[in-house]
Amino acid sequence: MLGLGEGAAGKFVSQRTQEQVRRVTVILTALLVAIFVSIPVYVMIAIAFQPSVTTFRGGQVNLLFDSFTFDNFVLLFTETGTPRYLFNSFVVTASSTLLATALSVAAGYGLTRFEFRGKTMAARAVLFAYMFSPIVLAIPLYVIFFSLGMLDSYFALTLALTGISAPFGIWLMWQYFQTVPIALEESAWIRGASRTRTLWEVVLPVARPGTIATAIFSFSVAWNDFTMARVVMSQQEMYPITVGASLFLDRVSIGWSETMAAAVLMSLPPFAIALFLQNYLLQGFNVGGLE
Amino acid sequence: MAQPIRLDDVRKEYHTAGASHVAVDDLSLEIPEGSFTTIVGPSGCGKTTTLRMIAGLETPTSGTIHFGDRDVTDVRPQDRNAAMVFQSIALYPHMTVRENIAYGLKVAGVPKAKRDAAVDEAAETLQIREQLEKMPAELSGGQQQRVALGSAFVQDPDVLLLDEPMSDLDAKLKAELRVEVQRLHKEMDATMVYVTHDQTEAMTMSDHVLLLEEGRLAQFAPPSDLFDRPVSQYVAEFIGTPSTNTLPATVEVGGDAPTIVGEQFEIPAPSDLFADRIGDSVTVGIRPQYLSPDGGDHHVRVIVDVVEQLGTEFVVHGTSVDGTHINVVDERVGDAGPDDELSVGFDGGDAFVFDKDGETICHGDVLVAARSASPSQ
Repeated sequence: MLGLGEGAAGKFVSQRTQEQVRRVTVILTALLVAIFVSIPVYVMIAIAFQPSVTTFRGGQVNLLFDSFTFDNFVLLFTETGTPRYLFNSFVVTASSTLLATALSVAAGYGLTRFEFRGKTMAARAVLFAYMFSPIVLAIPLYVIFFSLGMLDSYFALTLALTGISAPFGIWLMWQYFQTVPIALEESAWIRGASRTRTLWEVVLPVARPGTIATAIFSFSVAWNDFTMARVVMSQQEMYPITVGASLFLDRVSIGWSETMAAAVLMSLPPFAIALFLQNYLLQGFNVGGLE
Repeated sequence: MAQPIRLDDVRKEYHTAGASHVAVDDLSLEIPEGSFTTIVGPSGCGKTTTLRMIAGLETPTSGTIHFGDRDVTDVRPQDRNAAMVFQSIALYPHMTVRENIAYGLKVAGVPKAKRDAAVDEAAETLQIREQLEKMPAELSGGQQQRVALGSAFVQDPDVLLLDEPMSDLDAKLKAELRVEVQRLHKEMDATMVYVTHDQTEAMTMSDHVLLLEEGRLAQFAPPSDLFDRPVSQYVAEFIGTPSTNTLPATVEVGGDAPTIVGEQFEIPAPSDLFADRIGDSVTVGIRPQYLSPDGGDHHVRVIVDVVEQLGTEFVVHGTSVDGTHINVVDERVGDAGPDDELSVGFDGGDAFVFDKDGETICHGDVLVAARSASPSQ
């Protein structure tokens, strides 16, 4: 008497049928996910690229394109602080990505290559820090930046964002460097290359997928951040696009169309990165065990 | 220029979580310049640690290491003019084969044209010309190891260190690369030190073998000496396959000379070595190759357990009447089947005698001399 799952593969249902069922299931799941992801994106695009009169004609939200316009974007750039917000976002995101990645690479290398007192503690503390919600850190950071007179500066926001993304980045690079064989470095040393030269010419190129994954992660944390910017920046001209765009909803002169146009602008950089660097992202996170 | 490598009282201790572990225990020896020396021993005997200290990747806890007259104990690995081939092969995955081989030269500042010429020559010797522009991931395991050897070759090192470079390869590739490594040794002016756990590799390739036992030197000698004149039971059992048979015996008074008496044999022994050992238990070692169904002065009955065929020879695994495990290697034992009883003999001249601590008391030649000196036998 065979229990469930005890039969040889293909005994009750042929291998061929099993294979077909599997394929159909995969396709259906993919389709479902695609629908859930693409409908909101479609709505955003439809509203952003239609004149607002068309969108709301007849008291309905009209989501089928019958006219196409960049007016919403023009309005954003001429009537609102969007250019300034975008600029702020770029500055802060770029510096935080750079800082967090450099920190993660250095820390990851150190954690895997050197023995020092309290190493395990340090590593655990890093992972523990990642468990905090950003809002937990917000008030203490505000107090710190306030006493240092650093509120309303790019530098302060850069540090705050790095504080959020670096723990995970460090953990990721720590895992990644464990997969880079030390024999590679040793072989370079024996061939005469200094530790620094080995780091640049051997270790970093080999660790590139992990580094890029870390950079992408810090980028997305910084680019999508709302909380920290809200806490650190109090002057409107220092707001990044996330905080800036949220203000639109409070204003009568700016409606859904412009807000969705701003959303499109916000989505473009992450979209471009996902498009061009997805291979690196997958490789990097794979090693971290986060497929 | 090949350099002799001298180790004086080299010791390496590791301290982990309060416990200290001695990996290499006061090792002293001199590896002759230009020689091919293998370091062999079971896992964890300190052979890789010894090699890594010679490379400069580990610093000895105490003791000194000299290359020729130069004290390199505290010299960085970068400045030792050594080359090393790793067990994990350690090719740079982001560089082509050519760049991999030339990397050491590039670091040394050799101009590109000269680098290319050196790489081409190495590739020619190692038959990897076709692979030069490929990436390491595209190569088979054997080709990757050839590339690693090539990298060492182009550097013209004083000392070439190989850390179990073939342990991940299959038997056929091993045999091929063994020849390759020996050819490189002939072409290079370097002292070669080769770490392996495979005593066959050690015995066939090198002109000196260093056998380690738990971090201590067990024997450092040419391969034939380890085989024929082991200094201890450990050496006799580690070197040679199948392992040396060890038969328990005691020294007794027999006539006018001491006699080594086992379950089934009596071997007259020289008085000068055995007179004060009367009553001691000793171990007689005899290699399976020196046991044969006919001939021999001393005989042992073996109950056959398993018979293996090795080409023209057969290996009989069995036990003697007192339960001692015995192996016999001979061409004429192929007919034996399980539970058969086989009588095999050996000459006293092929035996070793070990004391109860496993140290060699004497080799067979001394036993033979003793017999001819005592006409009563």
